[in-house]
Amino acid sequence: MNTLTTIDELGFAPALQQDVLEDTTSDHALLEATRSGDQDAFAELVSRYRNQITSYIYRMTNDYDGAVDLAQETFVRVYRAADRYQRSYAFSTYIYRIATNLAISELRKRKRRKLVSLTGFFQQSDGSEAKEFNPPDLRPLQDSDLVETERRNAVQRAIGTLPEKYRAPLILRDVDGRSYDEIARILETSEGTVKSRISRARGFLREKMHAYL
Amino acid sequence: MRKNTCELIRRELDELNLDETCSTAAIEHLRECAMCREFHEKQTKLRQIVGSLGTVAAPADFDFRLRARLANESSSAASHFNFVDWPVLQRGLAAAALLLVFATGAFLVRSMLNGPVPVTETAKESAPTVKESPRQLEQAGSFPAPGTVKHEVVTLPPGKRPQRNKMDARAQVAVSNNRRLATIDSSFSGAEVIKGTEPLASSAAIPIDALSLQSFTVSVDDGRGNAKTISVPAISFGSQRLMHNGNQFAPKRVW
Repeated sequence: MNTLTTIDELGFAPALQQDVLEDTTSDHALLEATRSGDQDAFAELVSRYRNQITSYIYRMTNDYDGAVDLAQETFVRVYRAADRYQRSYAFSTYIYRIATNLAISELRKRKRRKLVSLTGFFQQSDGSEAKEFNPPDLRPLQDSDLVETERRNAVQRAIGTLPEKYRAPLILRDVDGRSYDEIARILETSEGTVKSRISRARGFLREKMHAYL
Repeated sequence: MRKNTCELIRRELDELNLDETCSTAAIEHLRECAMCREFHEKQTKLRQIVGSLGTVAAPADFDFRLRARLANESSSAASHFNFVDWPVLQRGLAAAALLLVFATGAFLVRSMLNGPVPVTETAKESAPTVKESPRQLEQAGSFPAPGTVKHEVVTLPPGKRPQRNKMDARAQVAVSNNRRLATIDSSFSGAEVIKGTEPLASSAAIPIDALSLQSFTVSVDDGRGNAKTISVPAISFGSQRLMHNGNQFAPKRVW
């Protein structure tokens, strides 16, 4: 006989906790207030998420100005769709989903425009997608801060070469520190798929970053 | 067997958070397996590097730009409304105007086709004099006796210049040339041709007999052998009809 270990296995939508519903400073309450025309509530929402969303989109696109634009577009969409917002999931899941879709859309636009990095790329011999080549600078550096900066830049570039489907879960997991469950809801896929993609993304990064490891 | 164990241990290590401790089985395996130990070290270092990327701060004017963008969105939405809806309105108005023009035209055409023909006025405007064409003279022989035929020959007033149609224009030319072109007859059998030798005064304008049930026929000849007969159905008016048939509903001696 199968026994249910959690209430989520019943298949109901995740219920909100009572304290979340009653908390006037919760994201849901702020969005409710925004819906009724409270501009200050929306400003509070923006102040809570602007850095997270901007950073996430920046890690996805590797373009700060573009990331700021897309982050603003994310908030504009949240504001416009405030009336249609459903409290089924956490607000963070909702806003990250919008940001992910915008970032992926931007990446696809870039791919159509055939924009490539000036660092160069090598075409794969098997005819697969061209991948950026970022050789590590092996010369000795004078300052440990410079070393750290160079390593971060290398990681950022390496993340930028990952396919979209691996990039988003890796950033959400290893940069933003989100749970597998939340990532699965943001990306609208299963938790197993998320784990698999993150594992593969780390494998790609290990190959690219072996000089730094 | 060992390979499967390595895979399971690596998967477990992969799914752990950085600050979490792995299971005792995994710790024991890492002591024994150098490859898995190396994997774990590299994986941890990689995750630390990736995690060190941290959060990038939004620009200081983020809120200001967002407010401006929202304001711009709302204003552009309003202008978008006008931009979208006006052409629709214009199209609707154009269609309505087109329908109105079409309906008006149809009404005018229908009224022209079905409306009452002003017989007397048409007769007055038509060429009144009779042309002595050989064909008409031959036809005149087969006409019934003048006593059984009621005919009206209408003269055109000297100052009047009707220009209703091509036939009228021809009549005008004929009148200006002092030629008689048309006969007007109210019988079924055709119009009587008045000979040119008769004085025009004898063919004075005669009003249509209101009591007559016969049709009104106009024969027009342009003097070159081209003749045309126009037959107008009998016209009756309610009061005339009552007078002709008698008022059945009125009491005797009262009309």
